[in-house]
Amino acid sequence: MHRTGMTRERSFRVVLETPEGIRSFDCSEEEYIWDASAVNGIVLPAICHQGRCLSCAGRLLEGTVEHDHVDAYFAEDKTAGYILLCRALARRDVRILTHQEWKMREHRLAKGLPAPYA
Amino acid sequence: MATQSTVQPGDVTQRVGVEVIRARGVDVEKLIKMLVANAAAEFASTYYYYTILRMNLAGYEDYKEICEDARLEDRAHWELIVPRIYELGGHLPNSLPEFHDQAGCVAAKLPDPPTVVNILTLLLESERCAIRSWSAVCDLTFGKDPRTYDMAARILNEEIEHEAWFIELLAHERDGKSIPSGHFRRGEPGEAPYSKNRRFYNP
Repeated sequence: MHRTGMTRERSFRVVLETPEGIRSFDCSEEEYIWDASAVNGIVLPAICHQGRCLSCAGRLLEGTVEHDHVDAYFAEDKTAGYILLCRALARRDVRILTHQEWKMREHRLAKGLPAPYA
Repeated sequence: MATQSTVQPGDVTQRVGVEVIRARGVDVEKLIKMLVANAAAEFASTYYYYTILRMNLAGYEDYKEICEDARLEDRAHWELIVPRIYELGGHLPNSLPEFHDQAGCVAAKLPDPPTVVNILTLLLESERCAIRSWSAVCDLTFGKDPRTYDMAARILNEEIEHEAWFIELLAHERDGKSIPSGHFRRGEPGEAPYSKNRRFYNP
């Protein structure tokens, strides 16, 4: 965890396990992880940017995130370790497996939960 | 050169119109799912955004008319998408709740409180989701499936215009700024200049 500038805003280390390899960067506590990835030149899947369509899904391997203004995120998702990167804010240093959209849709279907594009 | 599976004369279990795009690299099953998700979003937007939200714009009669244009154009999009889903061998869910759950964009329910700024913000973000969703269909079909690409591009044209309308209105209402959409009024309510009045097929 790092403190930035004169403000009390914190930032956290984000490590992404992508199909192209491991990528890492610092992400402020107020910035969505997907947005911070884009700023750092890492293009991750996403369509709606509303926490709805599941295209940005990832799996939280280490650390803690909080979802902000997410349309649909269920307790079952959290238990299974799935997160929605377009609306996820880091709350500790995190390690995330990216490109989990179809796995998350399978999980949603198995739980009888909404699974757009499934 | 693309190769395609053979469709025998008289065979009604396969479609050349599907096999040719599959041979060119389109994941047809994925495309159908995307079209169903987008159809659900357009259907829901006609219901939520431009019917219920429009009803709550009392005193803003000009905004109501713009919402009416967008409502009718989203309805035109829905009607344009459905035939393509079936052409590709797909179908709509038989259950309306199931269809609703397939929508790729948030259901834009009436905000609380239903102020004009909150409603315009909701409308703007809804249009942005539509732009992203149709851009994804364009990406999937570009250079491979001209019929779906043409449809998606026509719808995308109108969603981009809708975004510009709501940027103009929200900037005026919330920030007191002038950010023109650059558009003149539709010739008639819900004119749908790209997706309705210049259709690519004869319905």
